[in-house]
Amino acid sequence: MDWGKIKFFLGEVFRNFTRNAGMQATAIGTVAVTIVLLGAFLYVHASVAHLSGDVFSKITISTYMKPAATSAQLDAVRTALAKDERIATATFVPKKEGLKELSQRMKGQIDTSLFTENPLPDKFRVSVRDPQLVPAVAASIRKLPGVDTVEYGQDVVQRMLQVANVGRRVGIGIIALFVLVAGIIISNTIRLTVFARRREISIMQLVGATNMYIRMPFICEGLLDGILGACLAIGILAIARASLVPKLAAALPWVQINVVQIDISSLVLQLVVVGGAVGIIASWIAVGRFLRT
Amino acid sequence: MISLRGVSLVYPNGVRAIDGIDLEIGKGDFVFLVGHSGTGKSSLLRLLYREMTPSAGDITVDGIRVDRLRRSRIPALRRHLGVVFQDFKLLTDKTVWENVAFALQVTGAHTKDVMRQVPRCLDLVGLSHKSRMYPGELSGGEQQRAAIARALVNNPKILLCDEPTGNLDPANTTEIMDLLGRINLKGTTIVVATHNQAVVDRMRRRVIRLENGRVVTDEERGYYFLGLGQDQILSG
Ligand SMILES: Nc1ncnc2c1ncn2[C@@H]1O[C@H](COP(=O)(O)OP(=O)(O)OP(=O)(O)O)[C@@H](O)[C@H]1O
Ligand SMILES: [Mg+2]
Repeated sequence: MDWGKIKFFLGEVFRNFTRNAGMQATAIGTVAVTIVLLGAFLYVHASVAHLSGDVFSKITISTYMKPAATSAQLDAVRTALAKDERIATATFVPKKEGLKELSQRMKGQIDTSLFTENPLPDKFRVSVRDPQLVPAVAASIRKLPGVDTVEYGQDVVQRMLQVANVGRRVGIGIIALFVLVAGIIISNTIRLTVFARRREISIMQLVGATNMYIRMPFICEGLLDGILGACLAIGILAIARASLVPKLAAALPWVQINVVQIDISSLVLQLVVVGGAVGIIASWIAVGRFLRT
Repeated sequence: MISLRGVSLVYPNGVRAIDGIDLEIGKGDFVFLVGHSGTGKSSLLRLLYREMTPSAGDITVDGIRVDRLRRSRIPALRRHLGVVFQDFKLLTDKTVWENVAFALQVTGAHTKDVMRQVPRCLDLVGLSHKSRMYPGELSGGEQQRAAIARALVNNPKILLCDEPTGNLDPANTTEIMDLLGRINLKGTTIVVATHNQAVVDRMRRRVIRLENGRVVTDEERGYYFLGLGQDQILSG
């Protein structure tokens, strides 16, 4: 290990970093804001996914057969449902059992023993692996022979899926915007350092330093901006979680916030990686522009 | 050591700074480039260390085909050359020692090489006792000596100097030219672009005279003015 070499390199990085501390603080702050947003989004997203997962997993498609459906058609539907990859379970509920269920649900309101004839059709209760696929699966079931109607609370499911999708897109859009802003600010910060050191860079080029070597300290500077920003953000998120979550839990007792178990260490890692990557890419672009001329 | 064949350089703005030059400079030569301002002396040197790429012609420096060099190989060429300028180009926030060491460190040299080469070069230019000083604390001559030490630290076979004494008084000028002479004696090929008549006439070395980007004369033991030494002017 050549400690002299390492010391020289780190000295260069440190000098860069401390040269315009104000700009550096701005860059770190922007990264921190971006990553706080990203962290909050991931956290909320995980919570919502968890909550809505509960709701969605209870969605079933009730497939009602025509009263005149033949037993051959019934078998055909049964095998079609069994073959469909998107379907998790398909339970056959013959009309007799349907009546029993109905009489249990409606106890005291309807006396089913008064029925002279069973008015209910045979049905299949179908649950789907991915709630997003419910409308599509329902549509394909409806086309099967002997199937009369298909019900899954169309309106509610559609609306919920829409809200979830819009929410996700808006969140991703906002974060993309902030990542871009953070990148631009880091890039400008690095460009200032590059500009302040242009004499040094031209001398480096004159004595035969490679572009890669010239780049390195600036890349490290960007990386440092990104990682310090991410660490700041993680600190803020940790404090926010510790102080906000209990209050939220008290305010919204019916939302089981604490049920959400996010893998904190992998979240932290993800955020640091995002911060570092933004820093590296931004500084690479900043120096590249200078070296090409 | 240096060879040019039909070399031309046209700047992006259309100025033809070098116009069909053929030139051979041997190993261990000491060459002056003279000529009026704007005749292409600096441009010629820039072609040699590949600050500029020729518009036409072949350039070979120390066995390297400079005109065809890929961008990624330019650093390798520069490590074979030392370049010295009128304005020294020292880093003001580094000491003399650090300035000289810098040229090695940024090429990824090992610390033990840095520790060996830097004192050797500082000793050669006679600046060992001022190695901890900053350029701002040195005279012009001393700054130029520091710059020369930096140019030599990679052990180049060729030293290119663009008006190395342009900013110096006569005493410092003599000192720097003596230093270049001593470096040349150790076998380093030296090319000096200069306006300094006294220097050229005193040293009596090969003189290549440029005019409008062309070589007009090339004398083995020349004077600054064609065929005319200072002594002749005085006696005549
Ligand atoms: N970067 C550049 N872009 C365009 N034209 C240039 C550039 N550098 C020099 N020139 C032009 O090229 C010609 C030669 O310039 P050069 O600097 O080589 O002359 P020189 O002999 O070194 O002059 P001086 O003795 O004043 O240093 C001049 O006409 C100059 O205007
Ligand atoms: Mg010049």
